Amino acid sequence: MNLQVPSRTQPPAHGDGPTRRPYAGESYYGRPPLKPSPWDWTVSGYIYLAGLAGAAQGIAAIAQRIDRRAYAGAVRSARFLGTLGSAVGSILLIVDLRTPQRWYNMLRILRPTSPMSFGTYVLGAFGIFSSVTALAELTRGRGRMGRAAEAAADAAQVGAAVTGAGAATYTASLLASTSTPYWAAAPRHLGVLFAASSVATAAAALSLGERLGGRHATARRLDGLAALASAALVATSLAADRRRRAKGIPADLDASNPGRIKQAGLALAGAVPLGAYALSRMNGGRSPGLSVLGSLSLLAGGYLLRHATLKLGMESAERPEAWFRFAQPENLPGRGQQAIEGWRQERLP
Amino acid sequence: MSLAETRHDGPRQEAERTAGAFIESGRSYGFFTDTTLCIGCKACEVACKEWNQLPSEAGGLSGMSYDNTGELSATTWRHVAFIEQVGRDGVRPEAMPDFQSRWLMMSDVCKHCDPAPCLEACPTGAIFRTEFDSVVVQQDICNGCGYCVPACPFGVVQLDELDGKAHKCTLCYDRMKGGLEPACAKACPTDSIQFGAVEDLHARARRRVEELHERGVADAYLYGVPDATGATGGLKRLNAFFLLLDRPEVYNLPTAPTRPADRIAPALGAGLAAIAGLAMAAAALLGAGGRR
Repeated sequence: MNLQVPSRTQPPAHGDGPTRRPYAGESYYGRPPLKPSPWDWTVSGYIYLAGLAGAAQGIAAIAQRIDRRAYAGAVRSARFLGTLGSAVGSILLIVDLRTPQRWYNMLRILRPTSPMSFGTYVLGAFGIFSSVTALAELTRGRGRMGRAAEAAADAAQVGAAVTGAGAATYTASLLASTSTPYWAAAPRHLGVLFAASSVATAAAALSLGERLGGRHATARRLDGLAALASAALVATSLAADRRRRAKGIPADLDASNPGRIKQAGLALAGAVPLGAYALSRMNGGRSPGLSVLGSLSLLAGGYLLRHATLKLGMESAERPEAWFRFAQPENLPGRGQQAIEGWRQERLP
Repeated sequence: MSLAETRHDGPRQEAERTAGAFIESGRSYGFFTDTTLCIGCKACEVACKEWNQLPSEAGGLSGMSYDNTGELSATTWRHVAFIEQVGRDGVRPEAMPDFQSRWLMMSDVCKHCDPAPCLEACPTGAIFRTEFDSVVVQQDICNGCGYCVPACPFGVVQLDELDGKAHKCTLCYDRMKGGLEPACAKACPTDSIQFGAVEDLHARARRRVEELHERGVADAYLYGVPDATGATGGLKRLNAFFLLLDRPEVYNLPTAPTRPADRIAPALGAGLAAIAGLAMAAAALLGAGGRR
């Protein structure tokens, strides 16, 4: 804690409003100006599962259209993943509530300004669509009932893909639309990051299923998709860091504990799978073990990155310099540098 | 006979006697906290705790001047900040300067923002805007999701781990219902905390700033009135606003806060666009090499 005697940085001059001076790092005894979100691994776990399950159902919808027979196994995995992910994810969200017996109050209203509100309905719809698709997998080959379920599942697959895309990305808007500096400083980057992370982990999970089922040809193609999304994930993460620095978020945040989790996450979700998938391909598919290793590493790294994003945000909320440097006129939306000078001179006392 | 007709036949509400403000539904009420008048007595903190039956948070001595409260929390809805500006650039002077130190005191409170980020984030409708334009958490609805906590740009609202609900200043909603001014404003012995209709308070505050400028207090300015620092980035105004003498950060306030809900569209739009791009890539990659 900073116990230095606080002092005025400049003597007052007549007509000189204190806020016209550029911010020079003042704070109130270094105390946190914000309250961090009260969330833990259940929330990062939910964000991860919703992304993985949502993107898996999207990939299944595309794969089914390309080659229904070749991808039958992957589609089956995605349908169970979607159902399981939405069910476990919902439980994690309810466990995270401090008054969980009132979870149903989430359904009292629909509020477009609250991603947590509309996200509840996106997750609910995704869960219903996914359950319909999973039902078809369970009733396959049981005569008329099986065929009816199959037809319903084909229609529901489109719904699951669309709501899955929502479930995979609305969580980015949930974090961005807070006053937490680390999340608020790069909303677009966060959106792309969550999309890439969801697709990468979903493709890795489906590839893993295909390898275990001995379907190496489809697994190889899924590896390609996982590698592409993984590369996009790493690139977006680096771009987001640059953006945050430009918006005043201190770089030494990455030296904190969650910062180290992020570095580990980037290695496990980026370098390791990219190398493993490339080696596996160069080997002409004779070493499925490398692909399995890449997928497992990507799945683990994907979660670490989600958790690091959550914890880095909470850390940034407790740092005065992060919030106060971000909450300056130059970071207000829709203003050029000239407008800032005008804002400083005319609109501040 | 309606309330409005009898209004000038003599005070009908206690608030008219104590604050000169008639409380009626449909008008905006708030606080004008004039920090130049604050003497740091903490009567507001005590009155708030007494009226709202909030437990103390005995934490010992903080070493931060006379501030042993520290911050607003689930059980502290008024917090007096103490800033002793003795000397310059952190160096203590050899002798006490004229007028002693510049000792800034400021009674912080929920700003009852318009629009209110906590209310816009609340997924259950527990946080609502009252008929007095104040922002209140309904304790029988809140399920403790905690989304209002990071939404607040001022670090006001907090979850209480004991009862699992979010808590913050209610602008004494129950007192206002009964025609009483909020407890903190009524207890303030110097009128540093003034309660009233927001338009009346704005006019009073602007006069006060002019008066202070004339008397040589050039640094006086308003925080949270429309088109000024504190009311920025989509926050139109703060119904509880302040007269300050130094940068907002010195009082632990942001200069240019923003409305969090304005970041939903960019984040969600970019995310869905990225998903669409990756879906096209998937269509190409998954079909590569033709049928097996």
